[in-house]
Amino acid sequence: MDESERDLSVMTQPDSYEAAVERLEEIIDRLDSGQAGLRETLDLCKEGRELVKYCAAELDEVGEGLKELRLDDLAAKLEVGSEPS
Amino acid sequence: MDQQPAQKQVGTGLPGPYSVGRYAGKLQEWMRERARVQLIGEVTGVGRSKVQAYFELRDADGAIPCAIWLNDLERAGLSDGALRDGAEVVISGGLDYYPGGGQASPNFCFRATHVRLAGEGDLIARLEALRKQLRAEGLFELQKQLHRPRLPKAIGVVTAETGAARRDLLAGLQRRGWGGSVIWGFAPVQDRHAAPAIGRAVQDLAARPEVEAIVVTRGGGSLADLWAFCDETLCRTVAMLRVPVVSAVGHERDKTLIDDVAAVACSTPTHAAEAAVPLDCIAARESLERCAVSLRRAGEGAVGTRSRHLGALARGPARALQRERGKLNQKIREIRAASERGLAERAASQKRIGSVVLERARNRAAGADMEKRQAALRRAMVALRAHEPERTLERGYALVEGEGGEPLGSAAEVSAEERISLRFSDGRVRARPERDDAA
Repeated sequence: MDESERDLSVMTQPDSYEAAVERLEEIIDRLDSGQAGLRETLDLCKEGRELVKYCAAELDEVGEGLKELRLDDLAAKLEVGSEPS
Repeated sequence: MDQQPAQKQVGTGLPGPYSVGRYAGKLQEWMRERARVQLIGEVTGVGRSKVQAYFELRDADGAIPCAIWLNDLERAGLSDGALRDGAEVVISGGLDYYPGGGQASPNFCFRATHVRLAGEGDLIARLEALRKQLRAEGLFELQKQLHRPRLPKAIGVVTAETGAARRDLLAGLQRRGWGGSVIWGFAPVQDRHAAPAIGRAVQDLAARPEVEAIVVTRGGGSLADLWAFCDETLCRTVAMLRVPVVSAVGHERDKTLIDDVAAVACSTPTHAAEAAVPLDCIAARESLERCAVSLRRAGEGAVGTRSRHLGALARGPARALQRERGKLNQKIREIRAASERGLAERAASQKRIGSVVLERARNRAAGADMEKRQAALRRAMVALRAHEPERTLERGYALVEGEGGEPLGSAAEVSAEERISLRFSDGRVRARPERDDAA
């Protein structure tokens, strides 16, 4: 991987929480192996921090208390919204 | 049906016209002659007159009007209210037709002479046939191939509004620390309206883009109670949905058809909550915190270790310089000492030379005494030379020496040596003394 590719991969937004966690585990494993050089370590740490931030935001989205909605209410709103004015 | 062409064919060319009453009578006879059979289905629209009970028997594919005389119904021994809407029953009987009359309306029905609640065996047989058919069509696999997100933001739930399943599901979600959106698609879960209503609800939920998983759940019951979840149309609908469906119908022992077509089948609403939101959010937050700590340590460690190493490397040249400077100073000290020593020696030497010069000057100053002394010295040297061994050797003598060059002055000393050397005035000859053993 050359520098530009590495930078690109660092900046890429994960597709999903599970994809982010999977990549995060890869990063931790690589760092724990002690085989990464300084530049790679710093890049991995940067990417890891972004992923942690992303995952935390995802968890925060479902961390503010359960919201209950009724399908028929949503359908009614949809019908009202779609009526011609 | 027997046709008796009693009348001349007119108009359309068909037989008749017959009197309607007579035709109706014949129709009744024909129907009553049809084979008596058993039918199984769900009872709907139960009503009673003074002499009979009537209802429709239906399933997903069709319905037929039925009637049973009250005395036959009593003989069937059903408990009060057993023949009710939603009940799965097996009826025995055959086709019947009431021709009506001048004032009474005609009526077609399946005349039941016996009725019993459908047993597990009846339902299981139907269920197995359906299961075999849907499996053969590959409908059990479609949902299982769908991706199930570990952390959905919104899930749809189809259940009864007042059931315990709703409460259990919510408790399960909250135990996982999940606080996303639950969109309830409330539907009856036990009667002939249940399957179509559940089917509509899952379709409507699946049509909402924010819904990432759908749970279909209800509490336990007999297979007849759960029969709506074995409905063929509902199960085909679920199988074709693009959103994964988690089913939790009845208890662990109850295996409905929707369990087969769903992405995941669970035994309880609590398990369904875990399947719909696979991620335990509480544990995930803790794990994420640990990841953040690991990353921080890795970053700090990598920089810290390397900066310490770099610091050591940076101090290296200074240390080397200091070391070399020390060596240089040592050299300087040594040179200075050597120089001082050299100067002292030179001074001493000059002093000695000075002394010799002075001595010579003094000797020159001494004059005739000096010449006398020199003549005496020359005489002494001649005398001395006369006694030198070299002079003796020049006269033809030889000096016997041992291996170490020491002179050997006696036969005993020579005999003790292995090798000897005979020194002449013009060189040496090595020799080995012969011992006189006899001596």
